Amino acid sequence: MSALTPTRTPVPRPQATPDSPAPVRKARRGALRSERRGVRIAAWAAVVVCGGFALLPVYWLLATALTPREQVFAYPPRLFPAAPTLDAFAALAGNEQLFVYLRNSLLVSVLTAVLSVLVSAYMGYSFSKFRYRGRRSLMYFVLASQMFPQALLLVTLYSLFSAYGLLNTYTALVLSFTTFTLPLCVWMLKGFFDTIPDELIEAARVDGASRLRIIHAIVLPLSAPGLIAAGLFAFVRGWNDFIFALTLAGPEKQTLPPGLVNTFVGEASTAWPELMAASLVVSLPVAIAFIALQKYLVGGLTAGAVKG
Amino acid sequence: MSASQVETLQHTNSHSPPRRLTDGQFALLLLLPGGALLLGVVLYPLVAALVTAFFEQSLVVPGRTFVGLANIVDVLTVDFPRLLWQTLVFTVGTTIFPFVIGFALALALNTRIRGAKVLRGLMLIPWLVPGVVVSFLWMWIFNANYGVLNALLETLGLIDGPVAWLAQPGTAMTAVVVAKTWQSFPWMMVMLLAGLQTVPRELHEAAEMDGAGTVRRFFSITLPQVKGIVGLVLLLELIWNFQHFDIIYVLTGGGPAGATQTFATAVYETAFHGFDLGHAGALGLLWMVLLMGLVVVYIRFSEKGEGK
Repeated sequence: MSALTPTRTPVPRPQATPDSPAPVRKARRGALRSERRGVRIAAWAAVVVCGGFALLPVYWLLATALTPREQVFAYPPRLFPAAPTLDAFAALAGNEQLFVYLRNSLLVSVLTAVLSVLVSAYMGYSFSKFRYRGRRSLMYFVLASQMFPQALLLVTLYSLFSAYGLLNTYTALVLSFTTFTLPLCVWMLKGFFDTIPDELIEAARVDGASRLRIIHAIVLPLSAPGLIAAGLFAFVRGWNDFIFALTLAGPEKQTLPPGLVNTFVGEASTAWPELMAASLVVSLPVAIAFIALQKYLVGGLTAGAVKG
Repeated sequence: MSASQVETLQHTNSHSPPRRLTDGQFALLLLLPGGALLLGVVLYPLVAALVTAFFEQSLVVPGRTFVGLANIVDVLTVDFPRLLWQTLVFTVGTTIFPFVIGFALALALNTRIRGAKVLRGLMLIPWLVPGVVVSFLWMWIFNANYGVLNALLETLGLIDGPVAWLAQPGTAMTAVVVAKTWQSFPWMMVMLLAGLQTVPRELHEAAEMDGAGTVRRFFSITLPQVKGIVGLVLLLELIWNFQHFDIIYVLTGGGPAGATQTFATAVYETAFHGFDLGHAGALGLLWMVLLMGLVVVYIRFSEKGEGK
């Protein structure tokens, strides 16, 4: 061991030779270049490993959706379906109950988005452009309210909706969905309203516009992109909801996520190609919405808001 | 555009009505619709659910009896440590693993490798698809008889025979954590990448000139600069996972033999399969106390961030 120590000490740390800067600088540059190559290799390694974890299941989803039904129960499974087919999609199209779920999903998500944006616009504007006591506490209560566990809220919501005869209605779904869309929309829209200069509002006020008119004729039109973004986020979260629709609605009013679970899961032999095809179909609107939302993605995320 | 709008306003509102409301009153009025909704569908149900902890109450039979702390004592003595432990394992696992994967990917994509934008878009897919789709897909991958994971591991010689990943107490939690990790890491990646992109490049260049290596620069420059966003994503992810329901419920329903039961699934099962609102409320009360600890930390954290 001791024989090794002397060989280690002569290797000078670059800082140890301040009186000869030029050669040291040169040595450093060389070291850095190889380091950059190392970084690039590490980056690609991370992308390949994590990317495999991210995308191989996606491939499997697509492949299974295209696999003929009798091939899906072959073991070991074929990594590439031998005779790709759209039979699974055709089978879905023949299932009328699925169209009921689809209609419910569309209706409830759109209504949720509209209601959330409408109500949040006023609330967000109040938080953004007025100063009053308790404003900050209220803002943080709104933010925290989406963190209350849904399973716990349901313990009472179920009885509450039942008492008002609202179980198994669109109203119950839309109202319960606002528990998680409202906080998100309020914070997003507050952020948008914050960027509207106070001088603009002041000018309109001096010109005699009422406060409500200022909101409707100036603030909202100027925030149109924000309203659309918030609405799309609300739509997506309503579309993805599982627990509320599972509990508060029956088959006639249920949305796609619990509807698909009831249709496919727990059967003696699950129709995997159909389930994967249905998964693709139910993911489609979300994918489209997010392509439209790309620009607002990070902003919406940092509002402490979006979570699948 | 704004100028012309102001002009029209001036024109139409030349006789503006006298202002009856003060600014403060007007601001409160704007809060009313949203406030009423939050009160009705969040705050009231939450408080009412917590109150049921002190009653013997059934979902299907009207009426209730006050039982004091009996429900809470029951819940604490039966299985509570196991439930708490499993919830913590799930919460911490589904926070740490997505964080490591997300951070690795964010760092890799931040080195400006070719195709970074496309890769970032592709990696978002797991996060975009609805939670039930994540469950369906992993249910299929983990399938004991025809699952692709068993086939892969057998080919690699890592397992001798098929493993029933979701049906064995020893592997079910791991499987659930893997599925949730797959869903969560893209969000982490986007947030952390956004954080990394705010780190001034000049800092790295200057440090490079001074001879700081990649590792040194990561710990001395990158990490301190993204500390805030790292804290934010970890806290938010802990809060969300502490109450996550969908993936566990669809994949295992809390089983086998309660091995993947967490607070969320236990409260839901007690209320909606056992019809026992009292014990569900008691579990929920303990759950909320723990959760609020996290939420308070999060709000402190956000306020500090806003003050900067």
